[in-house]
Amino acid sequence: MPEIDELENRINALTEADIESGLAFFRSKLKEAEASYLNSCVRCGLCANSCHYYRATPELENVPVRKLGYIVATFKASFTSLGRIAPGLVNAKPFTREIIRCWIDSVFGRCSLCGRCSINCTIGIPLPSLFRAARATLASMDLVPLDLQATVNNSLKYGNNMAIEQEEWIETVEWIEEELQAEVEDQNAKLPLDKIGAKYLFTVNPREAKFFPLSLQASAKVFWAAKENWTMAKDVGWDLTNYGLFNCNDDQAGTIFKNMATAMDRLKCETLVIGECGHGYQSARWMGPEWLKAHFPYPVVSFLEVMDEYLEQDKIKVDKTKNQQIVTLHDPCNLVRHGGIVEPQRRVLRQSVEHFVEMSPYGHENFCCGGGGGQLSMSKYTARRMNAGGVKARQIADTMAKIVATPCHNCVDQLMELNKEYSLKIQIKTVAELVANALVLTSRKDKT
Amino acid sequence: MATIDFNGATVELNEEGFLVDPNIWNEELAKVLAKHEEGLDELTEEHWAVIKFIRSYYEEKQSAPMVRAVCKGSGIRLQQVYDLFPSGPAKGACKLAGLPKPDGCV
Repeated sequence: MPEIDELENRINALTEADIESGLAFFRSKLKEAEASYLNSCVRCGLCANSCHYYRATPELENVPVRKLGYIVATFKASFTSLGRIAPGLVNAKPFTREIIRCWIDSVFGRCSLCGRCSINCTIGIPLPSLFRAARATLASMDLVPLDLQATVNNSLKYGNNMAIEQEEWIETVEWIEEELQAEVEDQNAKLPLDKIGAKYLFTVNPREAKFFPLSLQASAKVFWAAKENWTMAKDVGWDLTNYGLFNCNDDQAGTIFKNMATAMDRLKCETLVIGECGHGYQSARWMGPEWLKAHFPYPVVSFLEVMDEYLEQDKIKVDKTKNQQIVTLHDPCNLVRHGGIVEPQRRVLRQSVEHFVEMSPYGHENFCCGGGGGQLSMSKYTARRMNAGGVKARQIADTMAKIVATPCHNCVDQLMELNKEYSLKIQIKTVAELVANALVLTSRKDKT
Repeated sequence: MATIDFNGATVELNEEGFLVDPNIWNEELAKVLAKHEEGLDELTEEHWAVIKFIRSYYEEKQSAPMVRAVCKGSGIRLQQVYDLFPSGPAKGACKLAGLPKPDGCV
């Protein structure tokens, strides 16, 4: 395969100077606390069963601290006295091509950065941060799997991760506007672009525009029902994704994030609303200010919080009997475990569907769908991803639900694949799609 | 890497079932992919309208079309595209049209 050969070629072409500068970069990514965590594991083994890779395939290479072990070994060999003097004694291993291959296999090939190991770690080792430092190091050495990097490159070149041209975006928005107007029988139902001074700047995943625009229509229907003053950017700044979170190249991540920040400045909106997306929320809400080293003068919220507020303030009304099937909820790791948005989606769903059931476990302890951390973009690891996703598939099957709601398009895609692979016979929907279906529109009809 | 048999020859698919070499695509191969990847025994006129549009778009522009363009160009309504291809426009229709896997959250 060209992909494998190319990465392998790059590894073989590494010079001593490349390896040294990679190591220096790695050291620069570790602050004191992180460096000390590299020597803190007490070998309790709890992380093994916390990891969906290990649960699906209980082999040593899938134990989180084993994956971390290659990074620890490198750190010891390069940056500790004992590791330099007596490497065998402390299991220190120099940063050779062989170890670099192990790094790539562990941090890109066997980890979705879901963070479940970290919250179950006896010591509280921040494994995702350490894995991110390793990915960042590999990125600095130009050793990111090519298809993951291609997605980042699209964002850098086109302002969105699917290389959608501006006219294609506009045409799709106009089309969905027509569809929405037909659906709600109101010519005033709009998907406003570039409306200066709107309260909300709404952002979406390019996947919606390119292939699955019904979720955009559903979100727009909710805004319309709430009579909201909202807009989306006509030019770059409409895409909420940031695969810089996954290749861990902070410079590229910052450059990508600037698109939304610039759109906010240009359109002078009050609040940046991140559509239903796990990593997009994590990037914008928590990482964005760090990447740009800037304080944002505006709130960054999830669309789930917006819908939650609409229901709380009676700005929209829903009839849960319109969603009669059993619905369960998949928690995207970046939105829930990393992002802290846990209850809004639950409050919204309990009001919008008749039978809501939780998976076990759920919330902060929920398992990754298997598609996180950029896994969906890295074809090489497909078999592992589908296998690790088996944990999620069993969780879903146990609920007996017919619909899985999930506020993340990346998770939607992985769940669609799991649905096929594990014959789950479920439908997968965003939260907005269920809310839109349950909307009670009497007040609007009275008005018109 | 997976392979499928096609008229006695071996065709290479990537780990996600997309053709390794998009240039070897033809309509007979699409039928084999339909069976192998989407579980479709038969491709109807509607399937072909979508597949042929996507293929000609790809041959001209070397990229996958927006689903808007697919609906407009093939005359198939959006919901019907999803009904025709269970894995959706990207992993269903584009795959059967022999395109490489699109980048992004797919």
